[in-house]
Amino acid sequence: MKTLRDTGVLFRRKMMETLRNPIYIIMSLLSPVLYLVLFSPLLSKLTSLPGLATGNVMNVFIPGLLVIVSFSNGLFVGYNMIDEVRNGVVERFRVTPTSRFAILAGRVLRDMVNTLIIVNFFTLIAIPFGFHVHPLGYILFQLILCMVLVTTSSFGNAIGLILKDEDRLSPVIQGINLPILLLSGMLLPMELAPRWLNNVAHLNPAYYAVEAGRVLVSGQILNFKVGEAFIFLPLLTILMVAWATSVFNRDIS
Amino acid sequence: MQKNVLVVKDLKKYYYSRKGMVKAIDGVDLEVYSGEIFGFLGPNGAGKTTTLRIVTTLLTQDSGEAEVAGFDVKKEADEVRRHIGYVSQAGGSDPPATGRENLILQGRLYGMSTKDSRNRAEELIQLLDLTEFADRIVYTYSGGQRRRLDVALGLMNRPTILFLDEPTTGLDPQNRTNLWMQIRRLREEGTTILLTTHYMEEADALCDRVAIIDHGRIVALGTPDELKKRVAGDCIIIGIEDAEEKTSDLVATLRDADFIKEVQMDTSHIRLYVDDGALTISSVLKILEEEGVILKTITLTTPSLDDVFLHETGYSLRDLDAKGEYK
Repeated sequence: MKTLRDTGVLFRRKMMETLRNPIYIIMSLLSPVLYLVLFSPLLSKLTSLPGLATGNVMNVFIPGLLVIVSFSNGLFVGYNMIDEVRNGVVERFRVTPTSRFAILAGRVLRDMVNTLIIVNFFTLIAIPFGFHVHPLGYILFQLILCMVLVTTSSFGNAIGLILKDEDRLSPVIQGINLPILLLSGMLLPMELAPRWLNNVAHLNPAYYAVEAGRVLVSGQILNFKVGEAFIFLPLLTILMVAWATSVFNRDIS
Repeated sequence: MQKNVLVVKDLKKYYYSRKGMVKAIDGVDLEVYSGEIFGFLGPNGAGKTTTLRIVTTLLTQDSGEAEVAGFDVKKEADEVRRHIGYVSQAGGSDPPATGRENLILQGRLYGMSTKDSRNRAEELIQLLDLTEFADRIVYTYSGGQRRRLDVALGLMNRPTILFLDEPTTGLDPQNRTNLWMQIRRLREEGTTILLTTHYMEEADALCDRVAIIDHGRIVALGTPDELKKRVAGDCIIIGIEDAEEKTSDLVATLRDADFIKEVQMDTSHIRLYVDDGALTISSVLKILEEEGVILKTITLTTPSLDDVFLHETGYSLRDLDAKGEYK
């Protein structure tokens, strides 16, 4: 109960911050729109390639993009965390009897709300471009996106708290972001990849999210790939949240 | 009855780095009485912040014990947290929110209802003169305004003891004096305060009792007056020409003089501690003349806390750089 209440109080704080400066959300809408306008036209003639043969290129491309948006939105929160460490905000919270988990959860929840706003706005503008959404499949896909976000946001917050310095954070974040992006099959389906690359992609959590997203938005809810994602991603989410909470519990030196 | 609000016994905390072991604090003992302002004086890196982090539950000690308001910091951390206020060096105000929102949030984190938090926030806004800017975003605050909000945040839960880590570092002289006044006012309202500082003027002007800490150990503890009496009655400070060539001979001669109790040197001056400055200053002048030194300055003062520091540690706080760090 106390943890829930504390989480609510701290979620409201971060949400107020967003509402006060909606410009950040507007800015983060920009890059998906750029992908849509400047990159997706390149895909329209690729329908003869394996993996894109389902006919609808947008239904292959957009889910991948949404996964990456969720993934990066979470990963990059470390910078904001460092700001708050520097201002003594985190230390101030940790001296109160507030639940340590709530300090993390309040932040992650806000990131989740932000990301869902971006994801849904983006889906809306992608529909005129030819994105067909199966309603139930799309709802399940949003659940997957939430798990991706909770995982990366927990990681981002914890790593920010550990490293305490932007110059040390940047290489870590960039070093994770690019390989995950390339190996997720977000830009082109992994079916196109040689065997070894495809094998490596199977180690990437984002890959499962992208694959499941593609079949879900097209309405194939009972697909094997959906099953894979719903086994693998919850496990990863729980592990990451547990680790991040333990980081928030650690000594501050 | 004097009640101990904070009791620290033989506290130790070591760090291990590539360069080897660093003893951040190495057996600190202290007691803070209810209703006093207790000062922790020492250079940066002496162990002030480490001690503070342990008693505020942010860090666990390697050995020793610490009790705050009767609760053990290790075993009853949540109880300790309920009874303390802590203002870190970094402050703690959340810049994108208003001062009032910061305060209300703080109250909520201590489990207060929204209504109680609002009322308490208003009380503190009055007490610390925040009215003028309480509803502005903290980003727009000046350094002094922000510090006052930081202190107010530390008081939201009506703490048994308030910890202030270097409260006036980075403030201009006017804001510093202003904050001193407010800290004194808090004491009058019954708040017990422990503050750290590397400014001896601050410890002298503000604190009922002072502990001098150096290299992780407390080297002296008492009221500022008691500590100064420890050194001697008066202090004669002399500055001379050709300091480098002649000083060591001169110091040796001065040490031999029986009316001089102690001779200390910092980078630019020789300090002589004597019982009665007015009576002995002529004898000192005579020695200087016999030695053939050319006097640049001579000052007669009563000892300051810096003299105590020099007496206990062998170096002067004034010799440290502007940030108060060891050279």
